[in-house]
Amino acid sequence: MTRLSKQTLDGNVETLILAVLEAGPSYGYAIVKDLNERAEGILKLGEGTIYPVLYRLEEKKLIASRWHQAENGRQRKYYRLVSKGHKALATNRQQWQMLSAAMGKVLGSAENLLPKPQVKGATI
Amino acid sequence: MSRALQKYLDQVIIYANRKEEDSEKIRAELEDHLRQKISDLAAQGIPREDAVFQAIEDHGTARTVGYSLRRGFALLDVRTEGTARGFVAIGPRAVGIIAFGNIAVGLFAFGNLAFGALAFGALTIAGFLSIGGISLAPLGAAVGLAAVGQGAFGMIACGGLAVGLQVPWAIDGVSLLSGDNGLQFLHHFQTHEGIVALIAITAWLFLVFPLLNGVMYSIKRNEYLRIEKADPKLIE
Repeated sequence: MTRLSKQTLDGNVETLILAVLEAGPSYGYAIVKDLNERAEGILKLGEGTIYPVLYRLEEKKLIASRWHQAENGRQRKYYRLVSKGHKALATNRQQWQMLSAAMGKVLGSAENLLPKPQVKGATI
Repeated sequence: MSRALQKYLDQVIIYANRKEEDSEKIRAELEDHLRQKISDLAAQGIPREDAVFQAIEDHGTARTVGYSLRRGFALLDVRTEGTARGFVAIGPRAVGIIAFGNIAVGLFAFGNLAFGALAFGALTIAGFLSIGGISLAPLGAAVGLAAVGQGAFGMIACGGLAVGLQVPWAIDGVSLLSGDNGLQFLHHFQTHEGIVALIAITAWLFLVFPLLNGVMYSIKRNEYLRIEKADPKLIE
Protein backbone atom coordinates (compact mmCIF):
# COMPACT_ATOMS: atom_id res chain seq x y z
CA MET A 1 0.00 0.00 0.00
CA THR A 2 1.21 3.52 -0.81
CA ARG A 3 1.82 5.52 2.34
CA LEU A 4 1.97 9.25 2.84
CA SER A 5 5.48 10.65 2.60
CA LYS A 6 7.17 12.30 5.56
CA GLN A 7 6.98 15.69 3.82
CA THR A 8 3.23 15.38 3.43
CA LEU A 9 2.85 14.34 7.05
CA ASP A 10 5.09 17.04 8.50
CA GLY A 11 3.07 19.76 10.09
CA ASN A 12 -0.06 17.61 10.26
CA VAL A 13 1.03 15.17 12.94
CA GLU A 14 0.25 17.74 15.63
CA THR A 15 -3.32 18.02 14.37
CA LEU A 16 -3.69 14.24 14.19
CA ILE A 17 -2.54 13.88 17.78
CA LEU A 18 -4.91 16.62 18.93
CA ALA A 19 -7.73 14.78 17.14
CA VAL A 20 -6.90 11.52 18.93
CA LEU A 21 -6.82 13.29 22.29
CA GLU A 22 -10.18 14.90 21.58
CA ALA A 23 -11.74 11.54 22.43
CA GLY A 24 -10.17 11.61 25.90
CA PRO A 25 -6.87 11.38 27.76
CA SER A 26 -4.38 8.90 26.39
CA TYR A 27 -0.69 7.96 26.47
CA GLY A 28 2.07 7.62 23.85
CA TYR A 29 1.71 3.99 22.84
CA ALA A 30 -2.11 4.16 22.74
CA ILE A 31 -2.00 7.38 20.69
CA VAL A 32 0.26 5.78 18.05
CA LYS A 33 -1.90 2.64 17.98
CA ASP A 34 -5.08 4.68 17.67
CA LEU A 35 -3.62 6.83 14.88
CA ASN A 36 -2.44 3.82 12.90
CA GLU A 37 -5.78 2.06 13.30
CA ARG A 38 -7.85 5.09 12.34
CA ALA A 39 -5.66 5.76 9.28
CA GLU A 40 -6.05 2.12 8.19
CA GLY A 41 -2.39 1.72 7.29
CA ILE A 42 -2.06 4.86 5.13
CA LEU A 43 -0.02 6.49 7.89
CA LYS A 44 2.96 4.71 9.36
CA LEU A 45 4.53 6.84 12.04
CA GLY A 46 7.92 6.05 13.48
CA GLU A 47 6.65 5.35 16.98
CA GLY A 48 9.50 7.11 18.76
CA THR A 49 9.06 10.29 16.76
CA ILE A 50 5.65 10.96 18.31
CA TYR A 51 7.20 12.03 21.63
CA PRO A 52 8.94 15.19 20.40
CA VAL A 53 5.58 16.22 18.93
CA LEU A 54 3.81 15.54 22.23
CA TYR A 55 6.44 17.57 24.12
CA ARG A 56 6.09 20.39 21.62
CA LEU A 57 2.31 20.43 22.00
CA GLU A 58 2.77 20.51 25.74
CA GLU A 59 5.18 23.46 25.48
CA LYS A 60 2.60 25.27 23.35
CA LYS A 61 0.08 24.53 26.12
CA LEU A 62 -2.28 22.77 23.72
CA ILE A 63 -2.16 19.62 25.83
CA ALA A 64 -1.33 18.86 29.45
CA SER A 65 0.14 15.74 31.00
CA ARG A 66 0.10 13.85 34.27
CA TRP A 67 1.78 10.68 35.49
CA HIS A 68 -0.50 7.91 36.71
CA GLN A 69 0.09 4.37 37.83
CA ALA A 70 -0.96 2.02 35.05
CA GLU A 71 -2.69 -1.33 35.57
CA ASN A 72 0.65 -3.12 35.24
CA GLY A 73 2.06 -1.05 38.11
CA ARG A 74 4.36 1.07 35.96
CA GLN A 75 4.17 4.86 35.93
CA ARG A 76 2.56 6.10 32.73
CA LYS A 77 2.29 9.60 31.34
CA TYR A 78 -1.21 10.56 30.19
CA TYR A 79 -1.91 13.49 27.92
CA ARG A 80 -5.17 15.42 27.66
CA LEU A 81 -6.43 18.21 25.46
CA VAL A 82 -6.89 21.61 27.12
CA SER A 83 -9.10 24.48 25.96
CA LYS A 84 -6.36 26.09 23.83
CA GLY A 85 -5.85 22.71 22.17
CA HIS A 86 -9.57 22.36 21.44
CA LYS A 87 -9.52 25.75 19.71
CA ALA A 88 -6.37 24.90 17.73
CA LEU A 89 -7.90 21.60 16.65
CA ALA A 90 -11.11 23.31 15.50
CA THR A 91 -9.09 25.82 13.46
CA ASN A 92 -6.81 23.18 11.96
CA ARG A 93 -9.74 20.93 11.16
CA GLN A 94 -11.52 23.75 9.31
CA GLN A 95 -8.34 24.66 7.42
CA TRP A 96 -7.76 21.06 6.47
CA GLN A 97 -11.33 20.58 5.26
CA MET A 98 -11.06 23.68 3.08
CA LEU A 99 -7.71 22.53 1.65
CA SER A 100 -9.02 19.01 1.13
CA ALA A 101 -12.10 20.33 -0.70
CA ALA A 102 -9.96 22.56 -2.93
CA MET A 103 -7.49 19.77 -3.68
CA GLY A 104 -10.36 17.41 -4.42
CA LYS A 105 -11.85 19.84 -6.92
CA VAL A 106 -8.54 20.31 -8.72
CA LEU A 107 -6.99 16.86 -8.49
CA GLY A 108 -10.06 14.68 -8.16
CA SER A 109 -11.50 13.17 -5.04
CA ALA A 110 -9.62 10.64 -2.92
CA GLU A 111 -11.94 7.86 -4.08
CA ASN A 112 -10.30 8.09 -7.52
CA LEU A 113 -6.99 7.10 -5.96
CA LEU A 114 -8.28 3.87 -4.49
CA PRO A 115 -8.01 0.71 -6.63
CA LYS A 116 -11.22 0.02 -8.53
CA PRO A 117 -12.96 -3.28 -7.75
CA GLN A 118 -12.44 -5.93 -10.42
CA VAL A 119 -15.67 -7.18 -12.01
CA LYS A 120 -15.54 -10.80 -13.16
CA GLY A 121 -16.27 -11.32 -16.84
CA ALA A 122 -16.22 -7.63 -17.59
CA THR A 123 -14.99 -6.73 -21.05
CA ILE A 124 -13.66 -3.50 -22.39
CA MET B 1 15.85 -9.81 26.66
CA SER B 2 15.72 -6.46 28.39
CA ARG B 3 19.43 -5.92 27.86
CA ALA B 4 18.76 -4.94 24.22
CA LEU B 5 15.95 -2.69 25.37
CA GLN B 6 18.07 -1.01 28.06
CA LYS B 7 20.93 -0.51 25.62
CA TYR B 8 18.58 1.06 23.08
CA LEU B 9 17.17 3.43 25.72
CA ASP B 10 20.69 4.31 26.88
CA GLN B 11 21.60 5.26 23.33
CA VAL B 12 18.46 7.37 22.85
CA ILE B 13 19.25 9.28 26.04
CA ILE B 14 22.89 9.79 24.98
CA TYR B 15 21.78 11.34 21.70
CA ALA B 16 18.96 13.36 23.29
CA ASN B 17 21.50 14.95 25.66
CA ARG B 18 18.86 16.49 27.94
CA LYS B 19 19.12 17.44 31.60
CA GLU B 20 19.23 14.46 33.95
CA GLU B 21 15.77 15.14 35.34
CA ASP B 22 14.24 15.32 31.84
CA SER B 23 16.21 12.27 30.72
CA GLU B 24 14.77 10.12 33.51
CA LYS B 25 11.19 11.07 32.60
CA ILE B 26 11.76 10.56 28.88
CA ARG B 27 13.38 7.21 29.51
CA ALA B 28 10.51 6.05 31.74
CA GLU B 29 7.96 7.05 29.12
CA LEU B 30 9.78 5.37 26.23
CA GLU B 31 10.37 2.24 28.30
CA ASP B 32 6.67 2.01 29.13
CA HIS B 33 5.86 2.36 25.42
CA LEU B 34 8.32 -0.31 24.36
CA ARG B 35 7.36 -2.78 27.09
CA GLN B 36 3.70 -2.51 26.17
CA LYS B 37 4.49 -2.94 22.50
CA ILE B 38 6.58 -6.04 23.30
CA SER B 39 3.69 -7.48 25.33
CA ASP B 40 1.25 -6.85 22.46
CA LEU B 41 3.56 -8.47 19.91
CA ALA B 42 4.16 -11.43 22.20
CA ALA B 43 0.39 -11.78 22.65
CA GLN B 44 0.14 -12.06 18.85
CA GLY B 45 2.39 -15.12 19.05
CA ILE B 46 5.71 -13.50 18.16
CA PRO B 47 8.59 -15.01 20.19
CA ARG B 48 9.55 -12.60 22.96
CA GLU B 49 13.10 -12.03 21.71
CA ASP B 50 11.85 -11.19 18.21
CA ALA B 51 9.19 -8.96 19.73
CA VAL B 52 11.88 -6.91 21.48
CA PHE B 53 13.76 -6.31 18.25
CA GLN B 54 10.61 -5.54 16.29
CA ALA B 55 9.44 -3.07 18.94
CA ILE B 56 12.82 -1.32 18.80
CA GLU B 57 12.79 -1.28 15.01
CA ASP B 58 9.28 0.19 14.88
CA HIS B 59 10.31 2.81 17.41
CA GLY B 60 13.05 4.22 15.15
CA THR B 61 16.84 4.29 15.36
CA ALA B 62 18.30 5.54 18.64
CA ARG B 63 19.99 8.38 16.81
CA THR B 64 16.83 9.56 15.03
CA VAL B 65 14.69 9.38 18.16
CA GLY B 66 17.39 10.85 20.40
CA TYR B 67 18.15 13.79 18.15
CA SER B 68 14.43 14.48 17.66
CA LEU B 69 14.11 14.76 21.43
CA ARG B 70 16.56 17.65 21.58
CA ARG B 71 15.21 21.14 22.07
CA GLY B 72 14.04 22.94 18.90
CA PHE B 73 16.68 25.64 18.67
CA ALA B 74 19.08 25.15 21.55
CA LEU B 75 21.76 27.52 22.77
CA LEU B 76 24.31 24.88 21.80
CA ASP B 77 23.57 21.92 19.52
CA VAL B 78 26.45 19.55 18.81
CA ARG B 79 25.85 16.47 16.65
CA THR B 80 28.04 13.73 15.28
CA GLU B 81 25.57 13.02 12.46
CA GLY B 82 22.99 15.03 10.53
CA THR B 83 22.24 18.72 10.82
CA ALA B 84 22.84 20.66 14.02
CA ARG B 85 20.55 23.61 14.68
CA GLY B 86 21.11 26.10 17.44
CA PHE B 87 22.48 29.47 18.47
CA VAL B 88 25.84 27.71 18.28
CA ALA B 89 25.50 24.72 15.94
CA ILE B 90 28.28 22.19 15.44
CA GLY B 91 27.92 19.09 13.27
CA PRO B 92 28.53 17.61 9.84
CA ARG B 93 25.95 20.17 8.68
CA ALA B 94 25.26 23.17 10.85
CA VAL B 95 22.70 25.95 10.83
CA GLY B 96 22.90 28.62 13.50
CA ILE B 97 24.02 32.07 14.49
CA ILE B 98 27.49 30.56 14.84
CA ALA B 99 27.71 27.48 12.62
CA PHE B 100 30.60 25.05 12.38
CA GLY B 101 30.48 22.06 10.03
CA ASN B 102 31.43 20.54 6.73
CA ILE B 103 28.57 22.62 5.42
CA ALA B 104 27.85 25.62 7.61
CA VAL B 105 25.16 28.26 7.27
CA GLY B 106 25.04 31.06 9.79
CA LEU B 107 25.75 34.62 10.72
CA PHE B 108 29.26 33.39 11.49
CA ALA B 109 29.94 30.27 9.43
CA PHE B 110 32.99 28.02 9.61
CA GLY B 111 33.27 25.06 7.27
CA ASN B 112 34.48 23.43 4.11
CA LEU B 113 31.49 25.08 2.56
CA ALA B 114 30.54 28.14 4.56
CA PHE B 115 27.71 30.56 3.87
CA GLY B 116 27.04 33.54 6.09
CA ALA B 117 27.45 37.18 6.89
CA LEU B 118 30.99 36.28 7.90
CA ALA B 119 32.36 33.02 6.56
CA PHE B 120 35.61 31.18 7.07
CA GLY B 121 36.60 27.96 5.29
CA ALA B 122 37.59 26.26 2.06
CA LEU B 123 34.81 27.63 -0.14
CA THR B 124 33.13 30.60 1.44
CA ILE B 125 30.36 32.90 0.40
CA ALA B 126 29.68 35.81 2.69
CA GLY B 127 27.83 39.10 2.82
CA PHE B 128 30.50 41.07 4.63
CA LEU B 129 33.69 39.12 5.16
CA SER B 130 34.75 35.93 3.50
CA ILE B 131 38.03 34.23 4.30
CA GLY B 132 38.88 30.99 2.55
CA GLY B 133 40.52 29.10 -0.27
CA ILE B 134 37.96 30.39 -2.68
CA SER B 135 36.06 33.24 -1.15
CA LEU B 136 33.26 35.33 -2.45
CA ALA B 137 31.88 38.41 -0.76
CA PRO B 138 29.81 40.33 -3.30
CA LEU B 139 29.12 43.16 -0.86
CA GLY B 140 32.15 42.99 1.39
CA ALA B 141 35.74 41.88 1.76
CA ALA B 142 37.05 38.59 0.46
CA VAL B 143 40.39 37.09 1.41
CA GLY B 144 41.61 33.88 -0.19
CA LEU B 145 43.65 32.14 -2.83
CA ALA B 146 40.90 33.26 -5.15
CA ALA B 147 38.88 36.18 -3.85
CA VAL B 148 35.99 38.10 -5.30
CA GLY B 149 34.43 41.03 -3.47
CA GLN B 150 34.15 44.76 -3.03
CA GLY B 151 37.54 44.39 -1.41
CA ALA B 152 39.42 41.33 -2.65
CA PHE B 153 42.75 40.11 -1.35
CA GLY B 154 44.33 37.01 -2.84
CA MET B 155 46.42 35.23 -5.43
CA ILE B 156 43.59 35.81 -7.81
CA ALA B 157 41.60 38.82 -6.75
CA CYS B 158 38.68 40.45 -8.41
CA GLY B 159 36.70 43.37 -7.07
CA GLY B 160 36.39 47.06 -6.32
CA LEU B 161 39.71 47.04 -4.51
CA ALA B 162 41.64 44.00 -5.63
CA VAL B 163 45.05 43.06 -4.33
CA GLY B 164 46.63 40.17 -6.23
CA LEU B 165 50.06 38.82 -7.06
CA GLN B 166 50.07 39.50 -10.77
CA VAL B 167 48.57 42.24 -12.92
CA PRO B 168 46.16 40.08 -14.93
CA TRP B 169 44.87 38.49 -11.77
CA ALA B 170 44.02 41.69 -10.03
CA ILE B 171 41.07 42.93 -11.98
CA ASP B 172 39.36 46.30 -11.61
CA GLY B 173 41.63 47.61 -8.95
CA VAL B 174 45.12 47.93 -7.63
CA SER B 175 47.73 45.21 -7.58
CA LEU B 176 50.11 44.90 -4.66
CA LEU B 177 53.05 43.64 -6.68
CA SER B 178 52.66 45.46 -9.94
CA GLY B 179 51.75 49.09 -10.64
CA ASP B 180 50.95 49.55 -6.98
CA ASN B 181 53.43 48.56 -4.31
CA GLY B 182 52.88 47.75 -0.68
CA LEU B 183 53.22 51.33 0.52
CA GLN B 184 51.00 52.67 -2.21
CA PHE B 185 48.41 50.11 -1.25
CA LEU B 186 48.50 51.30 2.35
CA HIS B 187 47.64 54.79 1.13
CA HIS B 188 44.15 53.48 0.62
CA PHE B 189 43.94 53.10 4.39
CA GLN B 190 45.23 56.55 5.34
CA THR B 191 41.93 57.64 6.82
CA HIS B 192 41.03 56.69 10.40
CA GLU B 193 38.19 54.45 9.18
CA GLY B 194 40.54 52.77 6.74
CA ILE B 195 43.06 51.96 9.45
CA VAL B 196 40.35 50.59 11.74
CA ALA B 197 39.05 48.45 8.84
CA LEU B 198 42.55 47.17 8.13
CA ILE B 199 43.12 46.27 11.78
CA ALA B 200 39.74 44.59 12.03
CA ILE B 201 40.31 42.49 8.92
CA THR B 202 43.78 41.53 10.09
CA ALA B 203 42.47 40.60 13.54
CA TRP B 204 39.77 38.40 12.04
CA LEU B 205 42.20 36.80 9.68
CA PHE B 206 44.97 36.04 12.14
CA LEU B 207 43.30 35.91 15.54
CA VAL B 208 39.56 35.75 15.93
CA PHE B 209 38.60 33.35 13.15
CA PRO B 210 41.29 30.76 13.89
CA LEU B 211 40.60 31.09 17.62
CA LEU B 212 36.86 30.54 17.17
CA ASN B 213 37.62 27.72 14.79
CA GLY B 214 39.74 26.08 17.49
CA VAL B 215 37.00 26.49 20.13
CA MET B 216 34.41 24.95 17.77
CA TYR B 217 36.69 22.03 17.01
CA SER B 218 37.29 21.48 20.70
CA ILE B 219 33.53 21.39 21.47
CA LYS B 220 32.98 18.98 18.57
CA ARG B 221 35.72 16.70 19.85
CA ASN B 222 34.23 16.72 23.35
CA GLU B 223 30.88 15.58 21.93
CA TYR B 224 32.57 12.69 20.12
CA LEU B 225 34.37 11.75 23.34
CA ARG B 226 31.13 11.94 25.36
CA ILE B 227 29.34 9.57 23.01
CA GLU B 228 32.34 7.28 22.64
CA LYS B 229 32.71 7.08 26.44
CA ALA B 230 29.04 6.15 26.81
CA ASP B 231 29.09 3.59 24.02
CA PRO B 232 32.19 3.18 21.81
CA LYS B 233 30.15 1.39 19.13
CA LEU B 234 28.24 4.63 18.44
CA ILE B 235 31.40 6.21 17.05
CA GLU B 236 32.50 4.23 14.05
